[in-house]
Amino acid sequence: MAEDLQLARAASEAALATDGVYALATGRFVEAATYGAGEKVTGVVVGPDEVRVHIVVRWPLPEPIPALAERVREKVAPGAPGRATTVVVEDVEVVRDENL
Amino acid sequence: MRIFNRIVVILLLFALFALGVFVFLTSISPFLDTFGGQGTDLQNLPPSLRPDGLSAGLRGYLTNIENGSVGALDALVLIAVALLGLILLVLELKPPTPRRVRMQRGTYITRSAVRDEATRATEQEHEVLQSNVKVKAQRRPGAKVDVTASVREREGTRGLQSEVRDRVQQHLGQRGIPVSNLKVRIAGSDPRETKTRVK
Repeated sequence: MAEDLQLARAASEAALATDGVYALATGRFVEAATYGAGEKVTGVVVGPDEVRVHIVVRWPLPEPIPALAERVREKVAPGAPGRATTVVVEDVEVVRDENL
Repeated sequence: MRIFNRIVVILLLFALFALGVFVFLTSISPFLDTFGGQGTDLQNLPPSLRPDGLSAGLRGYLTNIENGSVGALDALVLIAVALLGLILLVLELKPPTPRRVRMQRGTYITRSAVRDEATRATEQEHEVLQSNVKVKAQRRPGAKVDVTASVREREGTRGLQSEVRDRVQQHLGQRGIPVSNLKVRIAGSDPRETKTRVK
């Protein structure tokens, strides 16, 4: 349990440190979070076989969304050996839209 | 469909449980009767529920089927049951449609994010008063996007369809959202019923 929480915190920090990631998403129908004693890490779901990171990307983007998601995956994966790493883009936050 | 199948299986298991209880009561009936018990005497049941009546009816029905003397209604019911079973089996074996749009290995984007972006692109078009976007995820990478753009009835839709298509494609392409199939439909609407009346 404590290991999962530690892993979730590390994944959260790695994802947020990636350029183009605006925030971690909370999930739509079910809260995407890892729960521990008196604490939860929102936006990262640590399972027995998988670590899933939910992100909101920032527009304008430094690179296309698939490449950005792949970069987040590459940053998170080394911290979760033996588990598949999945990145889910939940939203695009428009910080500045050239069309407006 | 898995939920429907689950309900069917629950009902079947419940019937199996009832049958098990029935067999159990039948088997211990002589033993309980020696102690003066009467509740397990199956002959006290209504005639239609008595085991000998049920088994005789079932045996007669199966004999009729074996002899080929099945009524038209019975035949239809049997065919319908067989078809229903086949359909349920196929639906159960078919893998479920994924909920998220696959981009690359291990990276996904939610359908709502794709829908929001497609809506934003469609409504940037001046003639479009409202849009309805449906996004389907597929097992292969890329989303299936269906866009319905509502415009004023009197405005000509000639060329607008391709303009909306180009705009959506360009918008999603800029963001790198993979689209495997994009359909655009222009529908005439009364502005009083749309989200935006005037642009």
